Amino acid sequence: MSDAHAAPMSLGTRLARAPGVFYILVLLVIVFGVTEPSFLGAANLGNIGLQSAILLMLALPMTLIIMTEGLDLSMGAVLSLCGIVLALGLLKGYELPVALAAALAVGLAFGVANGALVAWLDLPPFVVTLGTMGVAQGLALVVSDAQSVVGFGDAVSRLYGTHVFGVPFPVLVAVAAYALMHFLLYHTRFGAYVFALGGNRESLVLAGARANVYLVAVYALGGAMVGLAALLLTGRMNAGHPTAAIGMEFDAIAAVIVGGTSFERGNGWLFGTLLGVLAVGVLKNGLNLLAVQSALQVAAIGLLVIVALLVDGLREKR
Amino acid sequence: MADRGAEAVGGPRQERAALVELRGVSKHFPGVQALDDVSLEIHPGEVHVLLGQNGAGKSTLMKVLYGAYQPDRGEVLVEGKPVRITSPAVGRRLGIAVIFQEFSLVPYLDLAHNIFLGREPRGSLPGTIDHAAMHAEARRLLESLGMDLDTRAPTHTLGMAQQQMVEIAKALSQHARILVLDEPTAALSERETEHLFATVRRLRAEGVAMVYISHRLPEVFLLGDRITVLRDGKRVAALRPGETDADRLVQLMVGRSVDTAYARERVAQPGAPVLEVEHLAAENGISDINLRVRAGEIVGLAGLVGAGRTEVARAIFGADRITAGEVRILGAPVRGAPHQIVPKGVALIPENRKAEGLALIRSVRDNLLVAALKRTFGGVLFRPRKAYAVAANLIEALSIATPSVNRLARFLSGGNQQKIVVGKWLNAGSRLYVFDEPTRGIDVGAKAEIFALIDRLVKQGAGVLMISSELAEIVKVCDRAYVMRDKGIVGELSRAELSEASILQLAMHHE
Repeated sequence: MSDAHAAPMSLGTRLARAPGVFYILVLLVIVFGVTEPSFLGAANLGNIGLQSAILLMLALPMTLIIMTEGLDLSMGAVLSLCGIVLALGLLKGYELPVALAAALAVGLAFGVANGALVAWLDLPPFVVTLGTMGVAQGLALVVSDAQSVVGFGDAVSRLYGTHVFGVPFPVLVAVAAYALMHFLLYHTRFGAYVFALGGNRESLVLAGARANVYLVAVYALGGAMVGLAALLLTGRMNAGHPTAAIGMEFDAIAAVIVGGTSFERGNGWLFGTLLGVLAVGVLKNGLNLLAVQSALQVAAIGLLVIVALLVDGLREKR
Repeated sequence: MADRGAEAVGGPRQERAALVELRGVSKHFPGVQALDDVSLEIHPGEVHVLLGQNGAGKSTLMKVLYGAYQPDRGEVLVEGKPVRITSPAVGRRLGIAVIFQEFSLVPYLDLAHNIFLGREPRGSLPGTIDHAAMHAEARRLLESLGMDLDTRAPTHTLGMAQQQMVEIAKALSQHARILVLDEPTAALSERETEHLFATVRRLRAEGVAMVYISHRLPEVFLLGDRITVLRDGKRVAALRPGETDADRLVQLMVGRSVDTAYARERVAQPGAPVLEVEHLAAENGISDINLRVRAGEIVGLAGLVGAGRTEVARAIFGADRITAGEVRILGAPVRGAPHQIVPKGVALIPENRKAEGLALIRSVRDNLLVAALKRTFGGVLFRPRKAYAVAANLIEALSIATPSVNRLARFLSGGNQQKIVVGKWLNAGSRLYVFDEPTRGIDVGAKAEIFALIDRLVKQGAGVLMISSELAEIVKVCDRAYVMRDKGIVGELSRAELSEASILQLAMHHE
């Protein structure tokens, strides 16, 4: 029989169990690699990493939220707002850590608000976060006077351009975020209760755990990650733009679903989300190289979601 | 009352004191006395079987025991001391655990996490879990139950029997001394049942006190040390398996023979068959179903919950896929989806009328018309005047109590909602009506009206198939009845043979 430290699944088993997105990702890389030689160049692959970093920051907590049978539509708008807060803070002459703390606080506040409304007032996550999306987007436009915020020096963009042992700073942040999420989901009580919140909330309550507190924590974690992502977003643009991240919640939800996480029964997989983010990133990047207009890219991501679900559905039937 | 008093538990031999004692427990819900002065003793190292029909009060009694309900009167004693079990958490602390038919497991967590949910051993870092200790302890528990399972397997990959063992392991890990098993064999195969029995015997030998709820009489004699029979919320017998037999138990559950005074004027000569089902099998599990309903007949489909009655209705209606056999409506073979079956004249009045039979937020008028839009209007246009006339006629004909045709269906009483569901099929010109638990959640007065309505349907030449868990209702209303068990029909009872006891004997696996 297996011992206490049973070996993790073999690579073969992992491949066989991989969601359809794994094969889709491989296929996308091959197709773009063949049709567009520059795709596989080091510079472009690095680009994909940079572009995917921000999306991963949103998709990781989105995975946990969806596992609780929830949803966060406000992430894109809150990210825009946090970016504006960060940029305005720097413009007013505050140091970067202070401005970042303000952005984090705003993100966290929205996360806690979402969680509190969902958990304690028992409102549907879709409606709650649709509402806070509107609030955040409106605030971003009001605070910034609907203008881009520029001219606050280069502290953020310098940080953004830093390399540590050859690894770009944004990728490093994303890797750290992934490691943190992995630890939280698979090694802590909090993580086990995320599975239970979606899988059988009643039994969690009966087990004496404060289920609602954990549910709020899941959304709060999402808000904090969004605040942190604002650092990367602002660094990339070296500006704060009130509508910079519009629709990014769509990409994040798409990446989570493509990665094999389901809206039901607490069925989620963090590594799948990483693959999903890369699939979305590769698809966007490849279409960019092929000079496909951005509106069509949105359609392509939509198709990607449907194809991934179809592939998984077919494999499950077999 | 024709009730006989509770029969005393066997003789003078006085064994160890009861671990738990329910004394004179009563519980009242609006409209029903769910428990009336019920007492129950649960001893360590004994299996106490709780018997009773649906609605006899078994579930309510268990809910009082583990703390989900507070009794209106009476007391609970644990080890001779009165306790107040104000919540399931309190019950668990006293060592009371319930294994429900619906499991309380988290599907995408592994076995060990499920067993220790909420009580995970702490790891070295704050908030972390000591996985090694948790898995080792989980494996030890499962092995003590004779289960060789990978504690790292996600729970959703296990079969029902294995999940049940995980539930039991979970209860034992909480130091449960009193285990309630609610129809534990209902979903198990024969081999799995054997293993469960072995586990129950092992736990009994270890001194665990168990309450065992089952509808399978042979199990009662295989496992039971004591038997308590409930009927209509009262304890009608407390006895030992050696003092009784299956016939007597059925008699106790049914009570005195029911009055057959219900004066339904039966249609003297039933007409041609409206429904014929031959060797029907479907994906939902039913197999080799044979039955016939003729015009002017009310035919009962009896059996315990889960016997497969609703599944038969769904297969006839085309809602679940048929794999073998034939369904004939008015002599013509039919097959297909509900939208193809309905026009042939079949009406299903589902059990869960709020979810399946009614659009609660639509008006009475819309609900009445929905099944026959084409028939009512001919073309594609909605004609308000005509709609009003048709709806008003139906409301009059069925005496539905509603202030207006525009009233939203959800504001009506259960009985009136039921009439709307019938009315919409009446409007569709149906010849076969399948009623699934037509009187569930309806008060006594409305029940009589529903039966009068059913009566009128058959007088007008329709055939009715009536599914009901209320034995008395089947006996009262039906001309004939089929009895189901384990997804098959196990017998047909003619008018003369029809009684609560005869149904129950067939339904409970007892020759």
